[in-house]
This record gives sequence, structure tokens and C-alpha cells, in this order.
Amino acid sequence: MPARPFNHLWRVFATGLSFTTFGIGGVLLGLIAFPLLNLLVWQRQRRNRIARSLVRHSFGAFIQLMRVLGVLSYELHGVDRLQREGLLVLANHPTLIDVVFLGWLTPNADCVVKSALLRNPVMIGPVSATGYIVNASGPGLIADCVSSLRGGGNLLIFPEGTRSPPGGFGALQRGAANVAVRAPVDLTPVIITCNPPTLGKGGRWYRVPSRRFHIRIDVRPDLAVAPFLDGDSLDGTSPGMAARRLTEHLREYFEMELARARA
Amino acid sequence: MSASYSKDELYARISDILQNTFDIDAEQITPQAQLGDDLDIDSIDAVDLIVQLKPIIGGNLKPEAFKTVRTVQDVVDALHEMLQASA
Repeated sequence: MPARPFNHLWRVFATGLSFTTFGIGGVLLGLIAFPLLNLLVWQRQRRNRIARSLVRHSFGAFIQLMRVLGVLSYELHGVDRLQREGLLVLANHPTLIDVVFLGWLTPNADCVVKSALLRNPVMIGPVSATGYIVNASGPGLIADCVSSLRGGGNLLIFPEGTRSPPGGFGALQRGAANVAVRAPVDLTPVIITCNPPTLGKGGRWYRVPSRRFHIRIDVRPDLAVAPFLDGDSLDGTSPGMAARRLTEHLREYFEMELARARA
Repeated sequence: MSASYSKDELYARISDILQNTFDIDAEQITPQAQLGDDLDIDSIDAVDLIVQLKPIIGGNLKPEAFKTVRTVQDVVDALHEMLQASA
């Protein structure tokens, strides 16, 4: 039995209420707002901007709801750095919620979504309205990411490819580094911590932590990609090699920054 | 184009490409080495690898033939077959 049973029960209830709201809101947006947007705004770039802004403000409202209900608290550092265009934003992924935070804090955010979402009737509207990159084409994905960045989108990638293991940092995929070296574009790293841990991989939503969880979002200064290329371009160094070296550097960087953030 | 590459020559070319393009150590490269599990070649690298192989067999390269390759030797065999077919 938790030490403060009422507080615990309240947070189970509030967490359930938050997720129900998120679900109902998502269905309403997915079945009404986004299809309307697809119908009414034909100019693709304008439609994408409006849809992304709608997602952004919905995520913001959801976070404020959870804060007011006492489910979570948060602190933000360096988020001004996200107020730019064409950023490649890389973050660790300790909880389900961090995608909602990054989606809220990043204007004109683009992300890669599973192609299976295009078979989900609630998701067809939002995915096509926002113009999110659909992960259907394997290597073609890198080219899609590069053109999103060139179009001014801020691309969010969790380079581990899935949620981080409890208290750690998972093996890195090389996709994010490949986008960086082929664009080429600098990286904007974000260090996320959640204390106590919750909503990790395989966790159940009603297993709420012993106290209100606290999310810390720290947007770090950009990491330059040029040192991993030959000067500013890839003359001589193959992209595969540059992506390997950059991935290794990212692994060291994230492990060091995470250790510092938890200290 | 020369269809005169022997399997040994093809293997040597592929080994060179793996070392120079992907920083893979020579001692890791064996005919039986699995491209994915042993040499850490992902789907993005596979595309780069095929681009590098193109000069060897010119216009006769069939990317779909690489879908089933698993090992370095499989790549050698697939290339050899393409060269034979175009000879």
C-alpha cells in the first residue's frame, strides 16, 4: 500500500482521465478537424503548417491538463534553441510523454510515422494533413528526411528507434546520423529525464509512480556535423563512414550528458 | 564491359569496398560473414554498397537480385551470375 493512499488513487484516476481525454481528443481531431482541413486547405504547405500547429497546441493543452491534475511537473531549459527552422532534433526517449513535450515545444515539427498508421481510420487525416514522413520506403526515407529539413521543417528523431531502456540509453540506429551527414545539417540534441521513471517500454499506465513525476527537458547547443565530413561536404569521406563516426560520437555524447543530468 | 572477373577478383573488390566505404576491419571480412549481423551493414549502407558495385558490371546490375543476399559470398555469387548473364 502506498504511503499516501489518497494521493496515489488520485493520480491513478487523473492519469486515466488524462489518457482518456487524449484518446477522445485524438479521435475527434482525427475524424473531424483534420479531414476538414484536408478538404478546405488545398495548398499543401499551408495545410501542413496549420495541421502541425493544431497538433502542437493540442499537445500543449494535454501537458497543461496533466500538470493541473497533478500527474506531472516539468522544467524546461534551452527551449529557445527550438525556435528556428530546418533543425534535426535528436532526443533520448525515456517515456511515452516525451514525444508530446517535443511536439509542443518545437514549431513546425515533422516526424517519421509508421506506414501502418495509414491503415488506421483515425490517423489517415492527421498524417496526410501534417505531411509527416511515412516510413514506408526504407532508404528513400533518408531522402524524405533531407527534403523535409530543406523545406524548413524541424525533424524530431529518437535515434534509439524505440524507448530508452530503464535508466539508460539504448543502442543507436544510424538513420539519424545518415540524415545529418547527407543533408548535411547540424544536430540539436535534447536530454530528457523523468523522475521517478514512468511510462517506459512495457509499463502499464495505471502503475503510477510513487509520487508525481517530473520531466526535465534540456535542449543543448547544436553539435556541428562538419568535423565528421571533409570540411563542409563529403569529398573523400564516404557517407557510410561519416555516419558511423557521428553515431559513435552521439553515443558518447548522450551517455555523458545523461550521466550528468542524473547526477 | 569485362565479364572476365573471377569470383576471387570480385571478392577482393567487395572486400575493398567494405573497408573503404564502411570502415570495416579487413580481418572481420570473410566469405561467410553475415552483412547485417557480423558487419553491421544496414539498409542505407546496402544502397551505398550497390552504388559502389555498379561500375563493376555497368548497366546490367539488378538491385532486386540483392534482396536475398545474406553473406559476403552471396554478394560475390549474385554479381558473378549477373556478369555471366550479360556476357
